[in-house]
Amino acid sequence: MPATDYQGSSAAHTTRSFFSLRSLRRDQVHSMDSFHSTSQDQELEFFQKFVAEKFSDLSANKADEFLSLSWVQKLLNVFLDCQEEFTTLVSGNKRYLNRAPMDRLFSEFLERSVKALDVCNAIRDGIEIIRQWQKQLEIVLCALDIQRTLGEGQFRRAKKALIDLAIGMLDEKEGSSSVSHRNRSFGRNNVLKDQKSMGHYRSLSWSVSRSWSAAKQLQAIGNNLAPPKPNEIMATNGLAVAVYTMNNVLYFVMWALVAAIPCQDRGLHTSFHMPKQFVWANPILSLHEKILDESKKRDKRAASGLMKEIQDIEKCARFLNELIDSVGFPLNEEKQEEVVKRVKELGLVNEAIKQGLNPTERQVREVFHKIVKSRTEGLASSG
Amino acid sequence: MAENGEEKLIAVARHIAKTLGHTDNTADDILQIFSNFDGRLREKLSEKLTEDDDVLNNSSLDQTLKALDRRISRYLSSDRWIWSDSADSAAFLDAVDDLIGVIRDWTPMAAEKSVASGLDRAEDLLQRGMFRLEDEFKSLMERGGESFDVTRYSNGDPTGFDSDEDIDEDENDDDEEIPVAHRISDFNIVIDALPSGTINDLHEIAKRMVIAGYGKECSHAYSSYRREFLEESVSRLGLHKLSSIDEVQKMQWADLEEEIEKWIKAANVAVRIFFPSERRLCDRVFYGFSNASDLSFMEVCRGVMTQLLQFADAVAIGSRAPERLYKVLDVFEALRDLIPHIQMVFSDQYCLFLCNEAISIWKKLGEAIRGIFMELENLIRRDPAKAAVPGGGLHPITRYVMNYIRVACQSRQTLEQVFEDGVSAPVDRPSSSSLLSVHMSWMMELLESNLEAKSKIYRDTALASVFMMNNGRYIVQKVKDSELGSLLGDDWTRKHTAKVKQYHVNYQRSSWSKVLQVLKLDNNSSSPTVELRAMKEKIKLFNNQFDEICKTQSNWVIFDEQLREELRISVFSNLSMAYRSFLGRVQSVADTGRQMERHIKYNAEDLESKVNELFRGNGRRK
Repeated sequence: MPATDYQGSSAAHTTRSFFSLRSLRRDQVHSMDSFHSTSQDQELEFFQKFVAEKFSDLSANKADEFLSLSWVQKLLNVFLDCQEEFTTLVSGNKRYLNRAPMDRLFSEFLERSVKALDVCNAIRDGIEIIRQWQKQLEIVLCALDIQRTLGEGQFRRAKKALIDLAIGMLDEKEGSSSVSHRNRSFGRNNVLKDQKSMGHYRSLSWSVSRSWSAAKQLQAIGNNLAPPKPNEIMATNGLAVAVYTMNNVLYFVMWALVAAIPCQDRGLHTSFHMPKQFVWANPILSLHEKILDESKKRDKRAASGLMKEIQDIEKCARFLNELIDSVGFPLNEEKQEEVVKRVKELGLVNEAIKQGLNPTERQVREVFHKIVKSRTEGLASSG
Repeated sequence: MAENGEEKLIAVARHIAKTLGHTDNTADDILQIFSNFDGRLREKLSEKLTEDDDVLNNSSLDQTLKALDRRISRYLSSDRWIWSDSADSAAFLDAVDDLIGVIRDWTPMAAEKSVASGLDRAEDLLQRGMFRLEDEFKSLMERGGESFDVTRYSNGDPTGFDSDEDIDEDENDDDEEIPVAHRISDFNIVIDALPSGTINDLHEIAKRMVIAGYGKECSHAYSSYRREFLEESVSRLGLHKLSSIDEVQKMQWADLEEEIEKWIKAANVAVRIFFPSERRLCDRVFYGFSNASDLSFMEVCRGVMTQLLQFADAVAIGSRAPERLYKVLDVFEALRDLIPHIQMVFSDQYCLFLCNEAISIWKKLGEAIRGIFMELENLIRRDPAKAAVPGGGLHPITRYVMNYIRVACQSRQTLEQVFEDGVSAPVDRPSSSSLLSVHMSWMMELLESNLEAKSKIYRDTALASVFMMNNGRYIVQKVKDSELGSLLGDDWTRKHTAKVKQYHVNYQRSSWSKVLQVLKLDNNSSSPTVELRAMKEKIKLFNNQFDEICKTQSNWVIFDEQLREELRISVFSNLSMAYRSFLGRVQSVADTGRQMERHIKYNAEDLESKVNELFRGNGRRK
């Protein structure tokens, strides 16, 4: 039975393609008995187990990897895999798409998908913001390059970059309150100079309008997300459950991305209510709880993003700041060593970000494309 | 003795110079005076100076640094902008250059402790100088931008790029306000983003900052400011940031059309004027440092370009409703025309991704167009055969589809490109026809099948034929009247004209053959009374049937005047021939026509006028 074979794959968690609905169907074609009605149930069960497993794996990460850039990439991969399976499942059941209630359920799903596209764009903006912070890090690393002797000048330079970094990160935390910075009359009067106190320009502008809100968008995605009623399940031959599952996958992944990465008007207040009877409910809910716990930690309550690397930046920057403030010239050996140590730490963080940002952005773009594609196909078939 | 005396003299001269001279310049001046005083001193002094340098290593570095410190610090402590005075800025730059030079010269000897500490002080001084340079740089950018604002944007409106005016008209305004270099075509306006003097100043500063290793700060300061400037400029073109893709989908059609128009204008101005202008500015400010220039340029333009592309993306992602075609085509064509410019202005390594993004979104727009046509095909296919059009007239779907395609084919070239781009593998088709014509013929086929299905609703087969005639005629006319004619080919037109004729024939047969049959007389010679009686019956029958047909068919519609006439004429000619010969026979049989006259209702003229009442429609039309 393909369903039980599947259990063994949880250990070999590499790429998705080995066990999938496609392989399930292939096996079925070759098997002697193929009862079409039960195979639909099997597929449905398989899909839900698939989703459950993927999200369980995300929880199982080592503590220091949780919410890191590489974890975010894994999250995005999970989405892509689930979307792929969902598409396969739906494509085998096109005849249901035009009938009520499936047509309504499916078009609702497509609506939510469109909202998710905006979240993807906002996330890309957030990644860009992190890039700008990384530029400040590079200035710090350049100034405190251990190859040279460290004099007051270099420290001042590093300090200025750290201040700029802090301002940049603060801008993102405050979100709409930094609107005042943005309302420039474009220098016609000297409002410009007063407000900016010589040059702390807002590091980046959002590509969406000021009224857009990640929190509201998430709310809209999760709006009216109720489990399918028994008659709906019957009428759609179980597909309603698949749609409900995918809706939740979409909702959760977007929520987690917003939690991790800076974006305009981040709000994590949206809640998840899924009946525990669904096999994937627990894995998702436990991840949700884990992330919420992170957000409630004292030092992260006002964070611009829960991503581990952001926390690392803040931590390293804080240490360096304190160190620089406490340092006297000329440097004694002890201080010198500490500086070297902190700079090395910062270098590691910088490297991690440098390596991880581009692939993550590509993944986000991939998710975007996938959603668009499934929507186009979905609109075409439900026509 | 004399030499000793000379040496002493020179030493005294030096001492005086150093004590009295507060700056290197003053000391040099004093030495100069001494040199001029006596030629011998000149040579000796200059020789001795270099020798002293070698001997007095550290104190020389010290002295040099002290002097440099004085030269630089006096500006650092000043509240005034250094660059508000060109002598000051020149002096400051000189000092910075000298400082950079000193650091460069002395770094090889950094192993020595005293040199190292001297270098520390030098680096420290350099850092303070760099910070000041950064501030001056930012201030120059602001002030330069400000003064240009006044000249470029009078009355608060952008003179050159008002969203309500046409670009062509603006060129005259530009002449007066903007220092425009020269103009070849609409978008070949060369604008100077900042005053020339400012650009030079910025370059001088950037040069020092990059050489001193502070290039990142300089680049960051530059791009932050220019990016905001650019975004503001673009927003003045009326293009505001969209709230979201979601909202674009939900926009009212009229609003979206307006946004698209603004977008096309903004995209053209941005890509063809603003971006090249920024590129030139970058290249001038960072002249000699191509990496800094490329990087800064990318940072400046990325935001606006991304914003523009996201809108185009949102349009491409939208629904495939057929009425969207024309606007999607507009965006498609606009982007297509811009891509060569985009590739030109974003040709460096950092901006490549912007080019790629633009191209991929352009392709998505093509996909969207193909999708729209597919949706139209679906709509045609699925249009239900419900209520019949009264009187067998033109069906709305025929009108809609034909007009739609006719207008669409006005963008024939673009559509051909769109359909060609859609195939990844060679498609099996006759080499003479393009993919577009294949699609068009397919759509015509779909329309015809749909119409045929609709015609079956009519219980009267004659009416069904009239229906097919009307719609077929309309189709053929629209085809002949437009690009469709050449797309579908002469054969197609001939074939379909013939089809219309066939429907005509069908109509004739199903409507009139029975009546005509009535008018046929047997040639068998029965008794005159029998014949007369038969004729009486026939006349009555004819009158009834004829009246019936006329009553029914006068409400039928033939929309095309020419076709209507053709039909009436052909009906009448068939009828009159048969009727005349019938009447002739009647008259020949009856000696006294009086008996029959009572029954004969119509003569030939009456027939004609009755026939001319046919296909009048609801009486509203003739």
